[in-house]
Amino acid sequence: MSTTTVGGPRNTAADRTKRWYRARRSLQGVSFVLPNFLGFGLLTLGPVVALFYISFTNWNVFGKAKWIGLDNFTRLLGDASFHRALLNTLYYSAFHIPLTLALSLGLALLLNRKLRGVQFFRTAAFFPYVTSIVAIAIAWNLLFSRDAGPINQILGLFGVDDPPGWTASSTWAMPAVIIVGVWREMGYYMLLFLAGLQTVPPELHEAARIDGANAWQRFRNVTLPCLRPTTFFVTVMLTIGSFKVFDLILVMTNGGPGQSTLVLSQYIYQKGLVENRFGYASAISVVLFALCMLVTVVQFAVNRRRNA
Amino acid sequence: MRHRHPQWTAIAAAVTALTLTACGSGEPADTGGPVTLTMSAWSMKTTPEFQKLAESFQAQHPDVKIQFKEYDATNYDTQLTADLAAGSGPDLYILKNLKNFITYQGGEQLLDVSDVASGLGDKVNGIGNYKVDGVTYAVPYRQDSWYLYYNKDLFAAAGVTPPDETWTWAEYEKASADLTAGLKAAGSPAKAAYQHTWQSTVQGLALAQTKGADLGSGDYGYLAPYYKRALEQQQAGSQVDYGTATTNTLQYQAQFGTQQAAMMLMGSWYVATLIAQQKKGEAQAFQWGFAPAPQPDAGTKDKPITFGDPTGVGVNAAIDENKVAAAKKFLTFAAGEGAATALAGIGITPATLTDPVVQAYFGVQGMPADELSRFTFTTHDTRAENPVSAQTAPLQNILLETHSAIMSGSTPVDEALTKAGERARSEVLESK
Repeated sequence: MSTTTVGGPRNTAADRTKRWYRARRSLQGVSFVLPNFLGFGLLTLGPVVALFYISFTNWNVFGKAKWIGLDNFTRLLGDASFHRALLNTLYYSAFHIPLTLALSLGLALLLNRKLRGVQFFRTAAFFPYVTSIVAIAIAWNLLFSRDAGPINQILGLFGVDDPPGWTASSTWAMPAVIIVGVWREMGYYMLLFLAGLQTVPPELHEAARIDGANAWQRFRNVTLPCLRPTTFFVTVMLTIGSFKVFDLILVMTNGGPGQSTLVLSQYIYQKGLVENRFGYASAISVVLFALCMLVTVVQFAVNRRRNA
Repeated sequence: MRHRHPQWTAIAAAVTALTLTACGSGEPADTGGPVTLTMSAWSMKTTPEFQKLAESFQAQHPDVKIQFKEYDATNYDTQLTADLAAGSGPDLYILKNLKNFITYQGGEQLLDVSDVASGLGDKVNGIGNYKVDGVTYAVPYRQDSWYLYYNKDLFAAAGVTPPDETWTWAEYEKASADLTAGLKAAGSPAKAAYQHTWQSTVQGLALAQTKGADLGSGDYGYLAPYYKRALEQQQAGSQVDYGTATTNTLQYQAQFGTQQAAMMLMGSWYVATLIAQQKKGEAQAFQWGFAPAPQPDAGTKDKPITFGDPTGVGVNAAIDENKVAAAKKFLTFAAGEGAATALAGIGITPATLTDPVVQAYFGVQGMPADELSRFTFTTHDTRAENPVSAQTAPLQNILLETHSAIMSGSTPVDEALTKAGERARSEVLESK
């Protein structure tokens, strides 16, 4: 091991030795990252790169993939089911992102005080996130049951005569899924906000209070600006998460009734793994990827301008 | 470093020893020597048919050993496809659904077994489904059919005459109304029928029983009477409505097995399940039987039309040449009377139905002994639910979405079927 450095003429080429040390250190660094990068490259990067290629072919798993150029993408333009899935994805995101953001921030503010049992409530809010998605789907479906479900019974108490059919109705299935999605994820983002709140300097609050700012003014002008890095991170993660929502929909409604909750990831799954049209499924994935990319780039640009 | 050497030597020695012994036992003594065939399977603990097939085959052919490669039941086709595409698929594999047969056949993953098929004669039900352009690519070992299960005790309690082999849909509807009233009067909470949430429960029978109905035509008007009936039954309170069944994740086994419903249309696989559940106490003890599915008119009463897909077994196109003969021997056995008798003995509906097979089937403990069940088991014209075509899978996906739209009451029947036809044409039939 040590024989290589001993042989080097130290006094005549000090530069070379220095360079050698630097190279060795970066080599050591690389060797630490390597196992992780190998896994990432093999299991994520490789397939992603292959995906772009496959999206220009009509590959069906077996045999060779035939290059068909932009055919898959031109077909997407006229595919009504794809349009439906895209609109549903946007519908889900348009409600899921702001609702989760607001509720998780609200929860974090509420649980950032010195309350009795605050640890318990924090844990309770986090529970949905670590619960099995299948169990969540079954339990919520029961709660949403049209005739015997507790939710509609409570609505009945408030005088709602014709309560919605929730997951069994094409109008209400999406709101039902959004409610469960928000409920499931707000605990996780609450945790991020809680961490962010610890970085807000108490002096600022104190100064604002001395200047006569009320609670709302302090929230608007002290808490929110200090939370911006956290809010930005949460928004980006939430957006990507919403665009690729899959498991929740699959186990709760399977895209139904009809196509009322069919989302892009599920459409990809259907085309790829159910119908074995991997070329077409890859093309949809590329569109989903582009969509996520676009929104994230916009978010980064907006964030940079605000910071400037 | 040096102190590690003894360990390495020991490991190397062990590996060499293992390899040597493995070679010793695996190498055939001569060309006619023992052959090991690998075969796909799923949920082997709860699905005894694979073990049964292998055991009964090996009893007749001691020179061939069947070794199982177990897959996950729900992801069976996905995992098997991945294995085959990677070139590591088993020598023999089960075609769990007829819907996916075309994927394997079209992907050139199945060996031509026409010679096996021609040697089997005409006693094997459902074998024609595996024929593409005159070439047979697999043989069925079981052929399930859909029956009308009925609870004799609940019929008696409601004072309604149980079904017979001549039932038409009109008689079914009448009995359903009588049962609903009769059960209510008798103070029973049971419904007249339970219709499971699957699209098959409506679409399978409609496709099989309607003259001229064609899944690949893009014209789904033939489904209308079947959907209208299902919705009427729901509205009349004769069966649990679709929304309740989906939101409460109702299990059909529990609905019929715990006497929540007096009638249920279901595939023949449920016979073995119900017997096992009654034995274990998971289902209640009651008298039951099965009758042919109700017919559109009396014209088909001599051979009632129903539906169901066969379960087949095929040979991997990439199989080692030395193993082909043994694999074909297995296929001949699996589709023939030998395997059929063994499978019937555990309550499975085999593809070959000869007298000894029927004897074995009704010899199962807990099996209904009445004439009607026997007639139902032996006499039917079973049409495929998923006619073999590359377009079947995407079309069935469209019809699945149509099913939930109609049954949940979200879209009126005719509107939903017109839309399904439009989608079928634009997304599947008229595109490449």
